[in-house]
Amino acid sequence: MAGGLTYTAVDSTQLSTAEYYGKALCELGREHPEIVALTADLGKSTKIGMFGEEFPDRFFNVGIAEQNMFGVAAGMAKAGLVPFLSTFSTFASLRSADQLHTDICYQNVNAKVIATHSGTSFGQAGSTHHAICDMAVTRSFPNLTVICPADGMETVNAVRAAYATPGPFYIRINRGFDRVLYPSTDYGFEVGKAVTLHEGTDITVIACGSCAFQALQAANFLDNTDGLKVRVLNMHTIKPIDREAVEKAVMDTRRIITVEDHSVIGGLGSAVAEVVVEFGKGCAFKKLGIQDQFAPIGLHEDIMSILGIDSNGIIDAVREVMKKDFELDDNWDDEV
Amino acid sequence: MILLASKEETLTNKIFLGAALPLVKVIANDIPKLAKKFEKTHAVIQISALDPAGPLGKVATHFVVNSGEWLVHTDRVDTRPHIELEFKSVEAMNAFFKGKIGPATLPKMRGVLKNPGTFASFMQVLLKMSALLGAKTPPEDEATKKLLVKCFFYLLSSGISQLNKNGHEAVHEWALKSPDRVYAWAVNGYPELSAYIRVKAGKTKAGRGEYKRAMPFFTLRFDSLDSALGILMSTDDMLEATKAGRLIMDGAPEFGAQIGEYMLTVAGYAQ
Repeated sequence: MAGGLTYTAVDSTQLSTAEYYGKALCELGREHPEIVALTADLGKSTKIGMFGEEFPDRFFNVGIAEQNMFGVAAGMAKAGLVPFLSTFSTFASLRSADQLHTDICYQNVNAKVIATHSGTSFGQAGSTHHAICDMAVTRSFPNLTVICPADGMETVNAVRAAYATPGPFYIRINRGFDRVLYPSTDYGFEVGKAVTLHEGTDITVIACGSCAFQALQAANFLDNTDGLKVRVLNMHTIKPIDREAVEKAVMDTRRIITVEDHSVIGGLGSAVAEVVVEFGKGCAFKKLGIQDQFAPIGLHEDIMSILGIDSNGIIDAVREVMKKDFELDDNWDDEV
Repeated sequence: MILLASKEETLTNKIFLGAALPLVKVIANDIPKLAKKFEKTHAVIQISALDPAGPLGKVATHFVVNSGEWLVHTDRVDTRPHIELEFKSVEAMNAFFKGKIGPATLPKMRGVLKNPGTFASFMQVLLKMSALLGAKTPPEDEATKKLLVKCFFYLLSSGISQLNKNGHEAVHEWALKSPDRVYAWAVNGYPELSAYIRVKAGKTKAGRGEYKRAMPFFTLRFDSLDSALGILMSTDDMLEATKAGRLIMDGAPEFGAQIGEYMLTVAGYAQ
């Protein structure tokens, strides 16, 4: 595995999102014998290996053959099992796109893809391991629910929800080391419903994944320094998107910024923009993410900073969008 | 020797011309008995004060009444009104509207003989406005309560806007720093009484009704007409009313305190 770790083993155990995933899957496995797990030789990295250690008879390593893994999972699902399959996001969404599309989504089988190392979270591994267009690809597949959890606790909620909801799921989580947004799983997670992290009426920042924490940091900073009231929505479910929350943001604040560790083409920003345009009400809008380029190589935090999707980048963007007009009325005579 | 009005007198006058006098239209429209009196009226009625600093040597607000339809032109002089109440100075006008009525503050009245009916009707509206806004106790009936709340909301939103437009230091400083935001006043269950002020980079606009382009940044909301009148007529305490839920601040409390301060500033000039 490509290296460059700057965290201690203790940190990685406490902060790894995938670690939460592994534990949550084991818990589910104890309750539900029909759950099986598949990996394409990345059991350890994706943490699905934890399931394999506890349930070796229900764990299948297909080798470095992602396309086969998706086909096998589809067959298992057709036979009544509930397969959870894990590999890196870039392999799950691109290398196995055909099998995900045809074997899993077209047949609408009950298979759950937990794609790890998403976005630029495996930054030091280079562009081949950056998953910057997985949401664009997967959210275009019919029947597929796409979730991008913000941290470990939300990953647990997403994994539980995926089991509880029939049909295919694609959950993209980071390599690990995500900042902790939620101290527990008890905050009202619901598939397709955004979570309001910070209330405000000046502007709405809609974020997903690790950017949700950054957006909250930015909102707190802007409240203290600029007196700006920034609404922050954690849009964990990319599909089906929470139209109601987006439309309310348009009506209430008339300014929206989306933030994602993903290309600005096809991901969260595009999904939100589609809702805004279909809603038909004007608002100032800006998408933060990877601007139609390959991301630089390095540590995740550094890449987020370079791409402007960390708290500083969000602060700059909020200040910029606050200068834009949403109100066409430029007559300043008092109404009498 | 030409004597210019002091800054304080000028600001007081702008509140009267731009925020208080426009309420004439509201009162003439909302009280059916008064509205009926203007059904067949076609006239320009002006209230002015001589002011060497003003265009044409005076400042004025005038009303164009056409078959019961009122147009209000604040802070604008009409050169040939049908009826005019002309004060000899800005100070005299301010004193008159603050209730100091005497030989030194009485206006010249023009056009009375030619338009006695319209003049009498207009004076009735002015007297009604004075009685309403000067009352020490809230009215009994709901229609008058609604009218009074509406008048206060309009007076406050327009008053703050006038202070900004005419260079009140603190208000203009606040407006300069503001991004595009709306502050609103509302009573639960009575959306038609709402008023707001839009503020953006030094500019302000007082508006009437609900602002619907976006959620107001801050709304001073009352749970009932009586609660609103308690605060607006200074018979209730803002903190107590907030604690008891009679006054609801939709938005950050620090901005509520700020707008509350400017409401008191307007009241200070108008009283």
